[in-house]
Amino acid sequence: MVHFSAEEKTAVTSLWGKVNVEEAGGEALGRLLVVYPWTQRFFDNFGNLSSASAIMGNPKVKAHGKKVLTSFGDAIKNMDNLKGVFAKLSELHCDKLHVDPENFRLLGNVLVIILASHFGKEFTPGVQAAWQKLVAGVATALAHKYH
Amino acid sequence: MLSTQERIQVAQVWDLIAGHEASFGAELLLRLFTVYPSTKSYFKHLGFCPDETQLLTHGQRMLEAVGVAVQHMDNLRAALSPLADLHAQVLRVDPSNFPLLIQCFQVVLASHLQGEFTVEMQAAWDKFLTGVAVVLTEKYR
Repeated sequence: MVHFSAEEKTAVTSLWGKVNVEEAGGEALGRLLVVYPWTQRFFDNFGNLSSASAIMGNPKVKAHGKKVLTSFGDAIKNMDNLKGVFAKLSELHCDKLHVDPENFRLLGNVLVIILASHFGKEFTPGVQAAWQKLVAGVATALAHKYH
Repeated sequence: MLSTQERIQVAQVWDLIAGHEASFGAELLLRLFTVYPSTKSYFKHLGFCPDETQLLTHGQRMLEAVGVAVQHMDNLRAALSPLADLHAQVLRVDPSNFPLLIQCFQVVLASHLQGEFTVEMQAAWDKFLTGVAVVLTEKYR
């Protein structure tokens, strides 16, 4: 089980309080689909993904991004039990969605880059370290029930 | 490998880094060592807690090499051949570490450019730096 120190938790929660989950979620998923186009394979029914601007403006991408990041927010409230928080979602991503867990790591990294762009200097190396640890923990938790 | 548009994005971002290779490089290394402490295993000569001077010196060297890559996007293999030899024969950095460096590079760019760090820039730089990493590890075996 991943353990987060008090400082790491503060680094995460203090930034999270200032994040617009709807906007950031859409941006994170959009950037994932643009920067790593092969990830579009999971979203055939999302409509127009033909260009960067089409992807970033796509309402289904924004909606799904918001859903994903909202779930992230639940993780942040339970950083000491990521495996528990994501148990059901892990089963879903394996059994129904068939998503390679590598994609969770890619999305986590994109989210960190977005936070860096939003927070600038405030996103210090120490803050980045806490967030990278969190996104890695979430990715591992989401892969935990794979079989 | 890089489209015309992607080359423009790479060059545009480089214009902002050129002249500041030392400070960008130092921040890059500091983030790398803070976020991924195992990467310090390749920098024994800098000690467990490298000081600012060491980070600036080595960071400058690394970013100057990136600058060479930017000038030779059409022919990375030739331009980076000596560095590829160095990595294959002397440094032998496990290839799994390059994505960690690339992640930190993107974070440095994003935190400095903020709202100006467009998705097109992120995509172009990720592709470009990944290409550089491929060339640097190509002679490993």
